[in-house]
Amino acid sequence: MALKGAEIMKKLPKTNCKECGCATCFAFAMKLATGGVKLDDCPYLDPEVKAELKGAMAPPIKLVTIGTGQNAVVIGEEEVMFRHEKTFFHEPGIAVLISDRESESSIDEKIARVKNLRFERVGNVLKINLLALSNDSGDGGRFETLVKKAYETTDFPFILISEDTDILFSAAAMCADRRPLVYPITSENVSASIPKLKELGVPAGVKGDSLDEVISVTTQLKDAGVEESVIDPGSKNMLDGIRDQTLIRRAALKKGFRPLGYPTMAFPCNMYQDKYEEVLATSALMTKYAGIVVTSLTEKDFIFPLLVHRFNIYSDPRRPMTVEEKVYEVSQPDENSPILISTNYALDFFIVSGAIEEANIPAFLCIKDTGGIGVLAAWTSGKFTGEAIAEFLKKYDVENKVKHRKLIIPGVAKKLKDELEEELPSWEILLGPSEASDIPKFLSEEWKV
Amino acid sequence: MFQAPLEKYPVNIREVILGLGEKAKKIGGENTFPLHFFEGFLPNPPGLGLEVLDMQPENWPTWALDPFEDVVSDPVGWAKKGVEEYGAEILCLRLLSTDPMGMDVAPEEAAKTVRKVVDSLNIPLIVLGTGAEDKDSKVLTEVARECSGKNLLLGPALKGNYQEIAKAALEHGHAIVAQASMDANLTKELNIALCKFFPPERIVVDPTSSALGYGMEYTFSIIESIKQFGLVDKDNMMQMPIFADIGIECWRTKEAKESKDQGVLWEATTGMTFLLAGANLVVLRHPEALRLIKNMISN
Amino acid sequence: MILIGEDLNIMSNAISQAIKERNAQPIRECVEGQTGNGVDYLDLNVGPQKKDPAPTIEWLVNTVQGFTDLPLCLDTTNVVAMEAGLKLCKKKALINSASGARESMETVMPLSKKYSSGLVLSVINDAGLPSDADERAASILESLEYANELGIENEDIWIDPVLMPVGVDQRQILSYMEFIQMIPDLAPGAKSVCGLSNLSYSAPKGLRGLLNRTFLVIITRYGQDAAIVSGFDEELIRLNRGEMPEIVDLIHRAMDEEDMDISTLSTKEQEYVKTTQVLMGKTLYSNSWLEV
Repeated sequence: MALKGAEIMKKLPKTNCKECGCATCFAFAMKLATGGVKLDDCPYLDPEVKAELKGAMAPPIKLVTIGTGQNAVVIGEEEVMFRHEKTFFHEPGIAVLISDRESESSIDEKIARVKNLRFERVGNVLKINLLALSNDSGDGGRFETLVKKAYETTDFPFILISEDTDILFSAAAMCADRRPLVYPITSENVSASIPKLKELGVPAGVKGDSLDEVISVTTQLKDAGVEESVIDPGSKNMLDGIRDQTLIRRAALKKGFRPLGYPTMAFPCNMYQDKYEEVLATSALMTKYAGIVVTSLTEKDFIFPLLVHRFNIYSDPRRPMTVEEKVYEVSQPDENSPILISTNYALDFFIVSGAIEEANIPAFLCIKDTGGIGVLAAWTSGKFTGEAIAEFLKKYDVENKVKHRKLIIPGVAKKLKDELEEELPSWEILLGPSEASDIPKFLSEEWKV
Repeated sequence: MFQAPLEKYPVNIREVILGLGEKAKKIGGENTFPLHFFEGFLPNPPGLGLEVLDMQPENWPTWALDPFEDVVSDPVGWAKKGVEEYGAEILCLRLLSTDPMGMDVAPEEAAKTVRKVVDSLNIPLIVLGTGAEDKDSKVLTEVARECSGKNLLLGPALKGNYQEIAKAALEHGHAIVAQASMDANLTKELNIALCKFFPPERIVVDPTSSALGYGMEYTFSIIESIKQFGLVDKDNMMQMPIFADIGIECWRTKEAKESKDQGVLWEATTGMTFLLAGANLVVLRHPEALRLIKNMISN
Repeated sequence: MILIGEDLNIMSNAISQAIKERNAQPIRECVEGQTGNGVDYLDLNVGPQKKDPAPTIEWLVNTVQGFTDLPLCLDTTNVVAMEAGLKLCKKKALINSASGARESMETVMPLSKKYSSGLVLSVINDAGLPSDADERAASILESLEYANELGIENEDIWIDPVLMPVGVDQRQILSYMEFIQMIPDLAPGAKSVCGLSNLSYSAPKGLRGLLNRTFLVIITRYGQDAAIVSGFDEELIRLNRGEMPEIVDLIHRAMDEEDMDISTLSTKEQEYVKTTQVLMGKTLYSNSWLEV
């Protein structure tokens, strides 16, 4: 939230009258800061103060929605320059560019390929989010054919691109119910565009050759009641894009400068001829704040790294990443292979499974869901106790995977050994190393069937 | 007229020199965030090191092997090809043969290999052990002695073995990679311990790398925060240049083994991401990943 | 500040052994050691207690009450064990703890009402640990509402803002201090408490006490009411009792960033000043913070 609870408190009557439903004005201020109550709930606020607070409380970077329903791309409302300061909130939309100059079969094929660019990773779906439809031909009819096809055969949200304002809004009208982003809105066409933007209720893709130009356009849009814009600062290459997006975000977050308080978009598809370079630029621009990136690539080998990259950078550093609960087979284990057990905290999983691979000794790695917390904390809260693990072994029929009855547990969990010995009397419980990096040594020296 | 919100910082990241003579390379020295040419001074482009092994690679996909297929049994040949054909300006010789769980080659023998490479090519050289504390201590000490005066960058120096390695580096005129595991506080602690007797301008910090899809964001954020502590908070124990050893991490992923394009991009994306975070020196395996990154960051 | 002694803890081998064997002697030593130094409450930490939850805690409570009249703080995540212990407490007990997670509010809070005990209420909720002061405030307001509706008054609630180890997340310490100062306005009548030793969890063993003691002084100044501490840290207890006013004053001056020539101070004083600077976020924490 833009304004902290304590700052809101300064503007409140401080009478603790309780008429808003909260016990104190301070409580009301806190709830307001985190969105639990509305400003209007306080009957004693001076209208000027109310307006001031409303303005100040608005998030510094506008939330913009492109598309509708479950496929909607929601960007903006970012709060930090560096993800470790809190987190990045709304992952950028990746758009694939389709030109109306392409042949129908080429367009069909591209659309089919884009639909297939869906992957699953640690329980999440990674995919392309938008189609950027471009009126390169300059021909209104051709553009409408493209938009119509995309509209009828896919459920992607769109970015509509045309230098001709009439063609642009005509196409937008065709698919207005899917809230397309219309681009470019410039200082030349902004006056003519405003009534149409308002009528259709769609967000504006603002383009300027300088930030001054962008500011002029966004200001005119805002004044006219067009609230949602995405800014293209016209960056020519990756380095410029990094500069432009950094300065825009800084202006919004650190200076509270509203005319630049919008998410940004970048066109790496126009920056580089070489495919590898386009991929690298796309990933860099996503790392450095882009709300939308437009790519021309549709091959899995180029798109998949981008999807995983976006997934990584936009993961919340405050929440531990987790992996799926199951019995992982590392390096093709057999009935004589060792069994190790640990929690589903992703980083631990990668380190432990990596260490086992390095040891070159095939093994079963049992990963128990502990909500992503590590061994000791999980044991204390009852998620990684003897009882819980015994249940796990039963659930995944671990007994029948091996001939032996030995279980290697993380070395830090000494108390767990006693519990497990009680729960699993027919098993030998081996205390493994405390450090994952000692797993290779442990397995090669201590493991014997 | 919009005033761009530029930021200026009063301190510099330290400059570390790798190698000797006219081919020596400097890294670090910047007084602003990575690639922020528009608001600060970055005297040295990030160093891009090409990896060379001191033994035949195992389990590499063919496309990772292809560029060096004809030379992988000879570290000197491999190093030469990296420089002459692929334009590497920094090399990283990884002494995998010394792995106590593997070939367990003796320190003296490993040091001789390093010496051969050093003698055949006058180019900045990073020399890395395997991370096995005790063995690395012996190996790197021997390498330091054998290549005395050559200003190599030796690592990793860890909490458990930095004293021996730094002592040898000090005595024989080398720089070191100080490695702490994904934690800014531990990085600082190791630097404090080192700087009691070792010059800070010969330290490069390694927060431990990870590949795209396998923890990359942890490394990314640690590198970003180390850079901030140094530049913005002016913590002089966090002003060393930052090192990212990523080739080995990326090419062990199953994704890199699916196709050449995906493999090269897996590595290049990881490398670029760490450069954007603030890495001043990155070690890559595939020459195409190196060339790609180099082209994209040149100003 | 009210001090709750934490040393009767199953993480200690001696204690867990004694509990297992039903051996009262080590328990007695632990109780008398802490009460001798002068704590106000005793925390009994019996862990998750999956097996035989009731008999263990019953034995422990009865045994401890045989050696002291101090009120008890019962520390377990097992609700059955908690209730069994509460039944036997002679003095008004303190439940350690409930959180804002739905399950905890529904199963633990009613016990506080039923047995008229105090309730340690942490800011953790179903989303996890709040990341800053405002988020902590939002979380605690919700749990307080739930508690008040059950008939538990603020006066019986001890709010735990959850202290993170300085080596794990130094910024959280600043959020913590900011939040403590909000509590009187946020929850009039409620007390604040924390597990002080968490602060120094990852620090070198010999330096943990220094971190804990310095922080105790800092948060006392910010108005914290209680802390769960080591009952064997004599210096901490003396500090808390006002027997070391010069150190307290020094810490306050370091908090206020007063100009001082640190080289004129004794080693011990220098250590307190450096520690204060780290805890106030002036320098990045490292395990060698005293050596810089």
